[in-house]
Amino acid sequence: MPALSSSPINPTASASESTMTTKNVALLIHELQQLLPVTSVILSTESQRPFECDGLAVYQQLPLITVIPETVDHVQAILRLCHLYQVPLVPRGAGTGLCAGAMPHAQGVLLVMTKLNNILHINPNTATATVQPGVRNLALTEAVQDLGLYYAPDPSSQIACTIGGNVAENSGGVHCLKYGLTVNNVLQIKLITIDGQLMTLGGEGLDEPGMDLLSLFIGSEGLLGVVVEVKVKLLPKATRVQVLMAAYDSVTAAGDAVAALIGQGIIPAGLEMMDHLAINAAEEFVKVGYPIEAQALLICELDGTDAQVEEQLAVVSECFKEHGATRIRIAKDSEEAQALWQGRKAAFPAVGRISPDYYCMDGTIPRGKVGYVLTRIQELAQNYGLRVANVFHAGDGNLHPLILFDASIDGQLEQAELLGGDILTLCVDVGGTITGEHGVGLEKMPQMPYQFADAELAQFRRLKEAFDSDCLLNPGKGIPTLKYCQEYRSLQNG
Amino acid sequence: MGDLTQKLVAQIQHAYATKTALNIQAGNTKTSLGRHTSGEVIDVSEHAGVLSYNPTELVITARAGTKIKHLTKLLAQTQQRLPFEPPSFGGEATIGGTVAANQSGPSRPWFGSVKDSLLGLGLINGYGQAMQFGGQVMKNVAGFDVTRLQCGAMGGLGLITEVSIKLLPAFKLSRTLTFEMTAQTALDAMQHWSNLSLPITAMCHCKNTGQGLLYVRLQGGTSGVEDAQALLGGELLLPEQATIFWQALNEGTLIPRQDHQTLWRWSGASDAPIDRVPNTCMINWAGAQRWALEDTSNTLSQDLEQSICQYQGGNRLGEVNAGVSAPQKALQQRIKHAFDPHSILNAGRVYSWM
Ligand SMILES: Cc1cc2nc3c(=O)[nH]c(=O)nc-3n(C[C@H](O)[C@H](O)[C@H](O)COP(=O)(O)OP(=O)(O)OC[C@H]3O[C@@H](n4cnc5c(N)ncnc54)[C@H](O)[C@@H]3O)c2cc1C
Repeated sequence: MPALSSSPINPTASASESTMTTKNVALLIHELQQLLPVTSVILSTESQRPFECDGLAVYQQLPLITVIPETVDHVQAILRLCHLYQVPLVPRGAGTGLCAGAMPHAQGVLLVMTKLNNILHINPNTATATVQPGVRNLALTEAVQDLGLYYAPDPSSQIACTIGGNVAENSGGVHCLKYGLTVNNVLQIKLITIDGQLMTLGGEGLDEPGMDLLSLFIGSEGLLGVVVEVKVKLLPKATRVQVLMAAYDSVTAAGDAVAALIGQGIIPAGLEMMDHLAINAAEEFVKVGYPIEAQALLICELDGTDAQVEEQLAVVSECFKEHGATRIRIAKDSEEAQALWQGRKAAFPAVGRISPDYYCMDGTIPRGKVGYVLTRIQELAQNYGLRVANVFHAGDGNLHPLILFDASIDGQLEQAELLGGDILTLCVDVGGTITGEHGVGLEKMPQMPYQFADAELAQFRRLKEAFDSDCLLNPGKGIPTLKYCQEYRSLQNG
Repeated sequence: MGDLTQKLVAQIQHAYATKTALNIQAGNTKTSLGRHTSGEVIDVSEHAGVLSYNPTELVITARAGTKIKHLTKLLAQTQQRLPFEPPSFGGEATIGGTVAANQSGPSRPWFGSVKDSLLGLGLINGYGQAMQFGGQVMKNVAGFDVTRLQCGAMGGLGLITEVSIKLLPAFKLSRTLTFEMTAQTALDAMQHWSNLSLPITAMCHCKNTGQGLLYVRLQGGTSGVEDAQALLGGELLLPEQATIFWQALNEGTLIPRQDHQTLWRWSGASDAPIDRVPNTCMINWAGAQRWALEDTSNTLSQDLEQSICQYQGGNRLGEVNAGVSAPQKALQQRIKHAFDPHSILNAGRVYSWM
């Protein structure tokens, strides 16, 4: 895929652009080779190719050097060296991120964390687990399921994405509506600062005195330090899980049903919505019996004890009906429940089958605005001559419009990108945000000055400098530079 | 009551220009927490009022000086609640102070602390710039999480002007059970019951009488609570008594402290042995929070230092909170500087060096 090119200004242009000399590079490589096993230092273009992008493949960049540490000591030493030689460093987990957050830096080191993949400790008494950052999200839940426990944040990418990446992005998932995001489920983090110091944030207990550094760090997109250990909270599995599906003949009706349900005091374990295009793509792909004539589909999961679930199920069914559900299907058993989920979970690849390319957005809006925003998105899409499929976390108001396009058609990628930008600013205009769970990375840099005022952005930069005064950690991502903001404002005014 | 943002901004800008230390105050209920500091009082109590509340969105936005008791009352009308069950300290505590001091109640292990419900806030930094972070939506990862960073900072990074909070539906039914048992037995029971999927929202053991009593609060839907009660047994406490007990626990009046005494609060792993904190008189948060009342002249053992805080009483000019490592201390100082370069906002409230 070609690189995105329609950005009016180059977001990576950074005041701290590396001024590394050839001599420094040679020294750095030499030292890294001394320090790490031979297979852990990758220099050839061919071997570095798999690392040139994350899940947002339109942004690509080969790094100078890729290193794959095996121990915390390795990580510490690598950071010290980068600091010493003033070389930019980009941390990477599984590379499933969707904002080019893990895209390498041309003059920098790419630090791949996947070999630090041990589950260090599981404490069934306190229902906690301590893991290395390269542990896959699903592997953690699998490791504790025999104890009747699970790790709640479950991104759809959970089979591949790492806990370190989840921490860096503050990832969410289907069950975050009831059980929170990564930030609500992590108790402690050990990290290495850019100058190689090991630091522990959070503690054994529930609240530490002083500013909440742990929360600040979660979601900091690799800009503040490298996570080397994470202690998470585990939850007991519910005795009963019930899934139901409701079909609607408009997205507005479905959106209203969602707002009404939550307003009635029901917080389901998960509450997802798909629109007509997504329903059809998914049904075509997995054939689970979704009503293809429906304009919107809600998938709702309730959990708890038998009694709790029965109580809620009655309320939910009633509420869905009241708001015009044309059809309600209550899963009879776990197989049927799984089938209902399967279509939702396969929605992204399903959409991938009906379009050569798609671009996934991640804005969050107030729940009550779902109907309005989805309708407005279709209008915007029509103006660009593009199609948009929607499959998203309706209970949270976290949209994932999938813009369908064909990169092989001249100019379509640029059109898709412009439409994406319009969708994000629409989210901000209705009181929402440009990203609910995927992060800013490189991708959403152009919308940062739209959401934040200059004083706020300057505050972010001072905060970044408190951790990383030379701006070596993941430079050019997350927080726009002063120069970038000035250019942005003058473009808006001119 | 009204919007005093401009006035507060002007006051802080003036203090910035003249390098005058300020002491942020609203309900003035938390002077006994943290270190004693001096500084010109900047009063937030009149900067009050609910800015928006839409029950179907389960979100409320209120100015910092809004009292907790007003919020609780308003929310009760629509069967909603603040998830972190903050203490209202005789009715005077404000939402801004609650966030700054990170005050969450007995339901902390199940419904999280302030940060878990905090969606966004308005903040005036030490330059006197009014800023907004986070927002009113459920998920928001744009920019650094300056919002949650404020929890526990005790105003040292900025004056909180308004907060947006995620709400939860009120409970349909609430029951408190008591069990006469020793602290050790209670600790085991708390752990065991925590790991069952039960609608428990508080567990606390007090050495008030005999062996002591374990209080277990069940809250939620009718059937869930009734089933759990049948499973656990115990003595049912009258609803009025239960309310009084949990409120006293929350407001810190359950352990009567005398002038010559210091009340220590420890928070650590819920499965830490019973003797982890010597002379524990109360165990809360299912074991994760322990309290000890000591004569102020007694010093506590060194190895507790990392996790204990001198909650009330004793010398409040020295350090009252557990120390941090040297690199973290330096980092916190740099962060303080990033928000408040002249160190005019509540300096020294958490640590002498902050
Ligand atoms: C099909 C698909 C579905 C998805 N569904 C969801 C979803 O439901 N919810 C959701 O929230 N996200 C989702 N994502 C996005 C993505 O999976 C998450 O952001 C995930 O947390 C990234 O983890 P990773 O290990 O792949 O990290 P990477 O992509 O490798 O890195 C992500 C960011 O984290 C930083 N980073 C990685 N490791 C560390 C570390 N150890 N220390 C410091 N920084 C580090 C990187 O620098 C980068 O900025 C989805 C992605 C795909 C492809």
